[in-house]
Amino acid sequence: MNKIIFMVDEKNIVLTDLVKVFKKRRKDEVRAVDGVNMEIKQGELFGLLGPNGAGKTTLIKCISTLLIPDAGTATVGGADIQKDPLGVRRMIGVLTGGERSLYWKLTPLENLKYFAALYGVPRKITAERIDYLLDLMELKDKSHERVERLSSGMKQKLSIARTLIHDPPILLIDEPTLGLDPYFARFIRGFIKKELHDKLGKTILLTTHYMDEADELCERVAFMYNGKLTALDTPVLLKQSMSQEQILEVKCLGDLDEKAFSHMHEEMGISITKSDGLTYIHISTENPEDLLSRVIDTVRDHVKVLSVNVTTPTLEDVFVHLTGVSLKDDTTQRE
Amino acid sequence: MRVIIEEIKKDIRILLTYPAEIAFWIISPLLWVVPLVFQGKALIGGLQSTAFANLAGTGEYIPYVLIGGIFSTYMFTAVWSMGNALRNEMFYGTLEHILSSPVRPIYILLGKGLYNSLLSTFFVTIQILICVFLFGLDITLQKIVPIAFFLVLLMIGLYGVGFIASALTLLIKEAQGVLHLFEYILFLFTPIRYPVEVHPITRAVSLFIPLTYALVALRGILLGIEFDFVKNSLILVALDAIIVPVGIWIFMRIEQRTKRRGTLAHY
Repeated sequence: MNKIIFMVDEKNIVLTDLVKVFKKRRKDEVRAVDGVNMEIKQGELFGLLGPNGAGKTTLIKCISTLLIPDAGTATVGGADIQKDPLGVRRMIGVLTGGERSLYWKLTPLENLKYFAALYGVPRKITAERIDYLLDLMELKDKSHERVERLSSGMKQKLSIARTLIHDPPILLIDEPTLGLDPYFARFIRGFIKKELHDKLGKTILLTTHYMDEADELCERVAFMYNGKLTALDTPVLLKQSMSQEQILEVKCLGDLDEKAFSHMHEEMGISITKSDGLTYIHISTENPEDLLSRVIDTVRDHVKVLSVNVTTPTLEDVFVHLTGVSLKDDTTQRE
Repeated sequence: MRVIIEEIKKDIRILLTYPAEIAFWIISPLLWVVPLVFQGKALIGGLQSTAFANLAGTGEYIPYVLIGGIFSTYMFTAVWSMGNALRNEMFYGTLEHILSSPVRPIYILLGKGLYNSLLSTFFVTIQILICVFLFGLDITLQKIVPIAFFLVLLMIGLYGVGFIASALTLLIKEAQGVLHLFEYILFLFTPIRYPVEVHPITRAVSLFIPLTYALVALRGILLGIEFDFVKNSLILVALDAIIVPVGIWIFMRIEQRTKRRGTLAHY
């Protein structure tokens, strides 16, 4: 198969003091991206991890030229996002989570033909490329069905095919498994890691608020919170930064908030999350055994303790330790 | 060119999934003529009036209004189709994917404009055929070439109007009210339903609207009303030369503005 060849820099994505400010009423403003510096190497799978509202999508939109930054610079494959936006767009493929990024009234074949024209895929290789991608995404038998009749997972697979139609060397992937069932989420993660990264050698910037996703896929991870990068390293080194600490996890039945722990200020990194009617207390500490009795005494009048675990830190724990908020929180500044 | 053709094909495929929309555009100009006929009959007891003939240059009221209605389809589909084109892309969720492709948005809009022209021509052809059989409208092959000439000049100007309508949608998102207002202004100041000579203000404003010159020429050709072929052609060319660049300029300015404000895909 013919390949579209692009000139690429060794550092595929370089952000320098990038700032994006959204003006609100009454002269208020939100610094959605606040002085971000970052370099992503060619062929790297880089994760941007942060809760909803941290500024991840805004950053992706700046890089993909959908937003014009207020300060700073960004280059993609050597092309400046402001001076050469068309050059940038030739080199990137953008994949977003959620279903609505395709024409539902058209078939997968018609969608891919349209986007092939839009992305300048030569006519003589378009049919071959579409055939390859439909085969790769296991959608060949659905190629003549309207997209509206496909399942959510199939739509996301088709979105991936659309993103790859022009064989871009750089992929910007924003929350790719959002709203997908576990089977398709696993498929998408496996595809990103094995096919796009390991086999095709794409440079990938992946944003997610799923800690497992970043930990499983990414070579390096940056934490983003309130528009700033708070940490950047490999997942292993980020977790080792809390190596002296362990995580005391208490699973409870009932409702509880962090005020209950106001007298335990010396123990940093307390986070409380709620899921399926259960409350989970996570405390990072060097001495979980010493702390356990105090925690039980604190919560026993409010909730019923179901289980207690002591674990090593995850990326989520590191994030909580650094920012004081959970990845599951919505930290949107704009509302 | 390939992008423009694919844009046209895509929009046609999507339109074909909405048959009610096609039926609406075919019958709507014919439906709004009927109340005007009844109104005229109630007012003056018939469809002939000396005052009307003096202003319009013809006493044939029904063909006069029908021609206005049918050919104004080009104007209204341009305003509505191009105005709503980007809004539809917002609803589909595809706008950002289109705008992050290495194609200048103006080419995509041009594709939408050409699609709109094809669509309008299809509707107008059906409407004219209905008029030929129902109302005895006289149309010969000799008339088709000058008609096509003026329609092309009209359509080019309409792309400029369409770019402005698209820009308005990007800017204020819910542009239906503005597009309706635009439509009413056109009804008021162009000779769609009546000769603009009926009032000095309508006559003055109509001078700046391409549809005025196109309708004068088309009625002249179809109904044998005397008109200045060269003058109308040159004015249409001049208006096109102004409206198209202005439309592109406005669209590009507003596209940059929405990218700065972060409101591109808001709806």
